Amino acid sequence: MAEAIVVEGLVKRYGDRDVVDGLDLVVQEGEVLAFLGRNGAGKTTTTEILEGYRTRDAGRVEVLGQDPAEAGSDWRARLGIVLQESQPLGALTVRETLRLYAAYFPHPRPVDEVIGLVGLADQAGQRAGRLSGGQKRRLDVGIALIGRPELVFLDEPTTGFDPDARRQFWDVIHGLRELGTTVFLTTHYMDEAQVLADRVAVLRDGRVAALGTPAELQAMRGGVEIRFELPPGVTAADLPGLSAAPDLAGGAVRVETSAPTRDLAVLCSWAEGRGIELANLTVERPTLEDVFLAIAGDHGEAQA
Amino acid sequence: MLVEQVRADLIAFARRPETLFFTVFLPVIFLVLFEAIFGDIEVSAGSDYALTQSTLQVPAFMAMGIVSACFVSLAITMVNRRETGLFKRVRGTPAPAWLLIAGQGVTSLLIGTTMVVVMLLVGRIAYGVEVSVDRVPWLVVSVLIGAAVFSCLGMALASITPSSEAGPPLANLLVLPLYFVSGVFVPVASLPDWLSSAASVFPIAPFVKIITWPYDPAAPDVPWTSVLLLLAWGVLGLIVAARFFRWLPRRG
Repeated sequence: MAEAIVVEGLVKRYGDRDVVDGLDLVVQEGEVLAFLGRNGAGKTTTTEILEGYRTRDAGRVEVLGQDPAEAGSDWRARLGIVLQESQPLGALTVRETLRLYAAYFPHPRPVDEVIGLVGLADQAGQRAGRLSGGQKRRLDVGIALIGRPELVFLDEPTTGFDPDARRQFWDVIHGLRELGTTVFLTTHYMDEAQVLADRVAVLRDGRVAALGTPAELQAMRGGVEIRFELPPGVTAADLPGLSAAPDLAGGAVRVETSAPTRDLAVLCSWAEGRGIELANLTVERPTLEDVFLAIAGDHGEAQA
Repeated sequence: MLVEQVRADLIAFARRPETLFFTVFLPVIFLVLFEAIFGDIEVSAGSDYALTQSTLQVPAFMAMGIVSACFVSLAITMVNRRETGLFKRVRGTPAPAWLLIAGQGVTSLLIGTTMVVVMLLVGRIAYGVEVSVDRVPWLVVSVLIGAAVFSCLGMALASITPSSEAGPPLANLLVLPLYFVSGVFVPVASLPDWLSSAASVFPIAPFVKIITWPYDPAAPDVPWTSVLLLLAWGVLGLIVAARFFRWLPRRG
């Protein structure tokens, strides 16, 4: 499989601050890559360098085989870009907007096909300014798809969506994958990355701090968590021996284990033998969000 | 491509009631009001003939229409589109920069020309103001030169305007005083000399002069100095516009 994006040692400075500081990343063709990181980690800066909006201070960047800093309109014709903020001409209808953007591209998709792809058939005649937030974002994606792009950049596409709108949006991205389009998705939402992404890159201090499939990242955190409440009349010393020492906070017991099956069996037969029902017993893998919080660091200041 | 762009720009323009009012209707309303108030006043516009203000006001408000469409409205629209990220968005497509510029330029030209035609007809029908047939080509040339020059100036203003909020006040601050001292609202002849000579340096006065010429049968030769001065402003506008044009919003 060929590479859609190759980044080696990318550096971008603002003043004396290295916003992007030696970033390496490869995105394969047809892949959906989720690009995560706290505000200020360098997400939007990196994305805009890949899109050709910003220059870089050092490093090698190749997007669809070309350097974005030098690529021309032939190269742009192969991209679809959804910016963080969208502001289509509010006075134009959905169909008129797509028709205008279709005129910019050499081999556009038929307007009605795109309207179907982004699920705006019922709003085709409605003015863009009167669409809901979720519908506007889908129009943005429609604009990005009109030129039959090989690679689509989505910068925080679902910020401010209600859960329904987010799910509808996810369907659109799934549809893109089926078309074989490479998707570079910047997002703040872990569930979104989990559902959509083939691989996840977590950015920290301008570098990729972790990269892998959602399952691989979850496995990095190691253990599974077993939690229950300490039964009345039982002390920590009474608990059976588990593969890891239990963590007690108030009446709650937490065990982080890499052998959940064995520990659960021990725990359950112990409780069963004493006729105890373990209150609030749960077994959980760490979520991608837990992993993200651990990797992305907690010192990120809110910066646009 | 250009046709689609102009089509979209015209639709976007026509669907915004406030721009439609300020750009298109206001100069026409002004023409009607000024005709009613000052129409009978006799002026001598550098000729021996007695000419009423009624006649001069028709081309004067044509000039206002062109300035309104090609300078004020164009600059405000371009700033808005840049600052809201629309240009940035288009930058992510294969569309070239000239398309946005030409699209808005042609759109403004069409709007301005429509207003000139409306005023020509209003002047002819309501006030009996006629332009001699052999000077109609000059009227057309004046409109085209004016539209081109004020579009360049509008682009220049847009490229140096820092924010969407600054667009309308800045554009109006520049043109409103000039309308008064350049022969649009008040006949040049009734201005103090120092004021009219100061105003004659700026682009609206020479434009009013050349667009008025076809309406003044006794006016001497074509005002070539005014044409050159106006073109010089256009070139200056073009240079500033090209030098400071940007795709991305100024903020952030």
